[in-house]
Amino acid sequence: MSTAFPLPTDISSTTVANTASLLRIVAFGLISGAAIASRLFAVINFESIIHEFDPWFNYRATRVLAAKGFYEFWNWFDPTAWYPLGRVVGGTVYPGLMATSGVIYNFLHYFNLPVDIRNICVLLAPGFSALTAWATYMFTTEMKDSSAGLLAAAFIGIVPGYISRSVAGSYDNEAIAIFLLMITFYLWIKALKLGSALFGTLAAVFYFYMVAAWGGYAFITNMIPVHALVLLLMGRFSSRLYVAYCSWYAIGTLSSMQVPFVGFQPVRTSEHMGALGVFGLLQIVAFASLVRSHVSSKQFQNLLAISVVTMGVLGAGAFVVMTYKGWIAPWTGRFYSLWDTGYAKKYIPIIASVSEHQPTAWPSFFMDLQLLIFLFPAGVVMCFRDLRDEHVFVIIYAVVASYFAGVMVRLMLTLTPVVCVSAAVALSTLLDTYVDASEPDVPEERTEANGSSASDGKKTKKAGAAVGSQAGASAAAAASSAISDLVSASKSNAQSRQKGIWGADARLVILLNAIGMLVFFVFHCTWVTSNAYSSPSVVLASTNPDGSQHIIDDYREAYYWLRQNTPQDAVVMSWWDYGYQIAGMADRVTLVDNNTWNNTHIATVGKAMSSPEEVAYPILRKHDVDYVLVIFGGLLGYSGDDINKFLWMVRIAQGVWPDEIQEPNYFTPQGEYRVDDRASETMRNSLMYKMSYYRFSELYGGGNALDRVRNQQIPKVGPTLDYLEEAFTTENWIVRIYKVRKEDPLGRDLKTANAFAQGKKRKRGKPVSRRRAIV
Amino acid sequence: MLRLSNAISCVLVALAAAASSSASSQPFENSAIVRTIDLGGSLVHVTTTFALKALKDAVNVYTITLTEEEIFNTSWLEVNVKGKQHPLTITYSGAPAGSKFHNLDVNLETPLDAGATLNLVLETVQTHATWPWPKEAAQDEKQSLKYETSLFVLSPYNTSVQRTKLKSSSPGILSYTTPDNVQAFTLESPVTKSGATVTYGPYNNIPSSATPEFLARYQQPVVLHYNYDYPVLEVLSLKRAAEISHWGANLNIQDDIVLHNAGPQLKGHFSRLQHQTQSFYGRGAPHVLPLFTVQLPPGIRNTYYIDQIGNVSTSRLRVAPSVARGSKNTQNSIMELKPRYPIMGGWNYTYTLGWDASLGDSGSYNSKTGKYIVSVPVMTEFPGAVVNDAELSIILPEGATDVDYVAPFPALSNDVSTHVTYLDTIGRPMVTFKYKNLTNKHAKPIYVSYRVPITAHLRKPMAVATVLLTLFTFAMVARRVDLTIHKTSTKKM
Repeated sequence: MSTAFPLPTDISSTTVANTASLLRIVAFGLISGAAIASRLFAVINFESIIHEFDPWFNYRATRVLAAKGFYEFWNWFDPTAWYPLGRVVGGTVYPGLMATSGVIYNFLHYFNLPVDIRNICVLLAPGFSALTAWATYMFTTEMKDSSAGLLAAAFIGIVPGYISRSVAGSYDNEAIAIFLLMITFYLWIKALKLGSALFGTLAAVFYFYMVAAWGGYAFITNMIPVHALVLLLMGRFSSRLYVAYCSWYAIGTLSSMQVPFVGFQPVRTSEHMGALGVFGLLQIVAFASLVRSHVSSKQFQNLLAISVVTMGVLGAGAFVVMTYKGWIAPWTGRFYSLWDTGYAKKYIPIIASVSEHQPTAWPSFFMDLQLLIFLFPAGVVMCFRDLRDEHVFVIIYAVVASYFAGVMVRLMLTLTPVVCVSAAVALSTLLDTYVDASEPDVPEERTEANGSSASDGKKTKKAGAAVGSQAGASAAAAASSAISDLVSASKSNAQSRQKGIWGADARLVILLNAIGMLVFFVFHCTWVTSNAYSSPSVVLASTNPDGSQHIIDDYREAYYWLRQNTPQDAVVMSWWDYGYQIAGMADRVTLVDNNTWNNTHIATVGKAMSSPEEVAYPILRKHDVDYVLVIFGGLLGYSGDDINKFLWMVRIAQGVWPDEIQEPNYFTPQGEYRVDDRASETMRNSLMYKMSYYRFSELYGGGNALDRVRNQQIPKVGPTLDYLEEAFTTENWIVRIYKVRKEDPLGRDLKTANAFAQGKKRKRGKPVSRRRAIV
Repeated sequence: MLRLSNAISCVLVALAAAASSSASSQPFENSAIVRTIDLGGSLVHVTTTFALKALKDAVNVYTITLTEEEIFNTSWLEVNVKGKQHPLTITYSGAPAGSKFHNLDVNLETPLDAGATLNLVLETVQTHATWPWPKEAAQDEKQSLKYETSLFVLSPYNTSVQRTKLKSSSPGILSYTTPDNVQAFTLESPVTKSGATVTYGPYNNIPSSATPEFLARYQQPVVLHYNYDYPVLEVLSLKRAAEISHWGANLNIQDDIVLHNAGPQLKGHFSRLQHQTQSFYGRGAPHVLPLFTVQLPPGIRNTYYIDQIGNVSTSRLRVAPSVARGSKNTQNSIMELKPRYPIMGGWNYTYTLGWDASLGDSGSYNSKTGKYIVSVPVMTEFPGAVVNDAELSIILPEGATDVDYVAPFPALSNDVSTHVTYLDTIGRPMVTFKYKNLTNKHAKPIYVSYRVPITAHLRKPMAVATVLLTLFTFAMVARRVDLTIHKTSTKKM
């Protein structure tokens, strides 16, 4: 057999195996290094700080766990959140993340390594990304081979779709959940392949970890049963499937019920019924096949088939009845919003108001996955060619995750692993084909006509599979045959030679092309990571005229002021976005936070924000509010401010008090959302508007006060406040804090008291005559 | 009483048994006493010059008397012969029964003969001696403080002439007490004011004033109300940890600081608009602290300025290069600290400031005694601020023995404990000192000496190596143990 380029021949196979193994280890080490390093942009550009909103709660809970131990954390009732209701934290969190950090913290401290808990939290996600790369490597190796596995590991290590949720400081459940997802899937595939109860149990253990760590565990809960069901329908039922599934389901479900936040959901809610149903179905099928192995009668088989169907129908019917009766909880709103993207907007504005729950825009697929999004379908097609049990899994995963990623931005995260796996399979097939040096034999007889060339390829492939040692070579032949199909189709009647790749140059063109694409992919990932996903959002960066970085640190300025200069038990009201940050950084009592469990309470805050002062004041006083915090970006042009979120507050308040708060009132008669002198009366009287623009125009000293977010002129005579007073405003006016005034000691209403204090005369009219009447 | 004992122990080098001092015929007389009080915010510097004349031969103990209030307030005290640097030793000789003053005996180095004269300079720094008045100030108002002292400098000896000058840094002196009942000592106006200085005296021919009779009859408080143009800063607590690492040749110093603006409380609320307008026109309110500067040692690295919620990005550092040992240190690193928010009257701010420095800059090895000596400053100077509570911990290398130290002034308490950190097996000795009311005069080094045997140096690598070796051995054994119960051929997969 001739080769395109000379290959050394005097190397023993042991040496090759050892070198390959060493290379794999080195490559894997580099991949881990790259995965961790690319997530450190946030630390290098900014600092070791917790990002965003939810991570601040996780961080705070972890600190409680590290300081007071696990049992205290388990029984933790937080009276400072959701004032005056409080929050049972231990029973309403997925504790996996905090427990992981706590274990690492205690481990390091046991060895007298006093690493700060904050640094553990910040670096947890990058650390786990290396583990994710390893799990993806193992998973893909099961799909194809270890070279595809390495490619997949490299992809998942640096792909922005995963980095977006796992940069250093992004201390959220997803940080460890993707690793758990991949390792659980890997162990499931392994269990299925081997029919091993050990691996099934291991899968169950990691499934338990996943349940403890992330609400997205329902994805596994449904993926594995769907896979099992599809295999069943494909007629691939085997004892391996039975053992793997039953060991996973039984142990996984029982252990998942130990998480207090999950509790009896696995047997009570609809999301988990699929797994239970497939479990039952497998018992029936197993029983049926057991019976069939003992009794061999066609009629009996028919009977069995009928009874299987009947039992299936009965089971489904029972499920419907139980749902109807309320024994099984119906689907939740979040679940419906997965199928109907408009559902949340109509019925649950609080879910729709979160930006990461919006449907995904097309460009973000390219931004998050770049090259991989094109290789992804090719990889799925490759899976169809072999279609072993595990390939079915990847195909199902690809279909389901693609749909979900289209529905919600945040579910891009679950799509990313399968995209990496598929793309790695596709790309590694391509590389296998073109790196392989063997050339087809020079044809001695003329080959057959065009039509049969494809079948010729197939034959080659079958032969290769039969030999079982040259998977790469067979794939090469298959791919080359497909290409030559196209070529020969164009020059329809021309006699074609034996299909294959000749010469090093042809190989080089394709390989350089592929390598070029990979290089661009790396550049793209680095660029996206450093520019789009590495901002802590607590700290904003801008550039000085001389090019140096200027940090805009208004959030922490305000939070630290609250922490240092207000009473420890002061109640701070703000929109729920900032609840966790206030609790974490300012250490003060909040009314609502990002754990949006009580819609009414949030609507109350929304109502206070969107009502006039006189209406809002009793609400504030009833909730013992001392300070009100608003975010205002008008001075700096910071668009994520409260005026831009204001309509959501109005909508959520309207959902509870439709008579008092009406969204249309906040628009101009022309239907515009304005804050300038054409703003509607309701808008201008609302507490939010007043607090945002209080004394704002004075800053411009009589000039035109421009709101740089909305590009509108603010009226020269700004709003006045009677029931609140300005307590603190940060350097760039991003955070403004107001103190709620206490009732007037003389019993006047505060408006009158203020007017009196400013020396305004009351309008005189009747009082004079009344006095006369008394005389 | 606790306060008194603290103050005394701070002030005095040693406590001695009271010695009887009231001799019937006086060994000295004061030809002049001039007291100059530099009014400040948290700190008030008082310089008293005694021009004394010996009346007997071979006298070498001169007694200085301080009132009880002065003893309370004074956190630092030194007596020099005028024009000389070397401070004289002072002995506390107690308070006469029933009196409200305390005597300090100054040991003159050379005994004086009758007729000889000497100028003694008593320098003290008083803390917490002023208070804001009015107690609240709006953001655009001035800041004014009050200071109270007693009219006469007490002395057990007769005094020919005595005068007290109170100097304010700004000319705005709002009011001052006019003493009465001083006709016995002066015929002119008992008090004069010129510009920023108020002078009480001169008062002539004052008899021995450290007597209850004199106090009851003539002594009276004088109060000065003056404008002060700088924020009144107090460091409520300073925790300094200095960690010595021989492996890294590093001295890490970390200060945890609680800062408080002890000026007038902010009236109403903080208005950013007003603050920005004021700083735009360069008319910042005197009681606002937008930023301050501290001087750090030269040649420091890895400086960090953080608080409880992370890095404070608004600071500047200019590092001076470290100087060779022995040469005069002329330049310090300058750190401009800008707190997250301007600290208004009554506001608090906490932060942590730390840095690494080369151990060679502050430590040395004495090969004769086999001991290392490291100098650690008690505190970094805060311009014009008092440190209410300070705690200094010096963490020595693991296994250090024969720990000894030389302190520039005694601590309220000190103890040696064990501190366990990075990969320690037995922990490191830690020497902790506690202080109260430190001022810029106290920013002096403590010298710690210790011995580290070679085995202690090697303890850490040995520990790590042992752990790793155990792990490898375990892995080696674990790989070779076959726990399979049921042997099956796995080749079919």
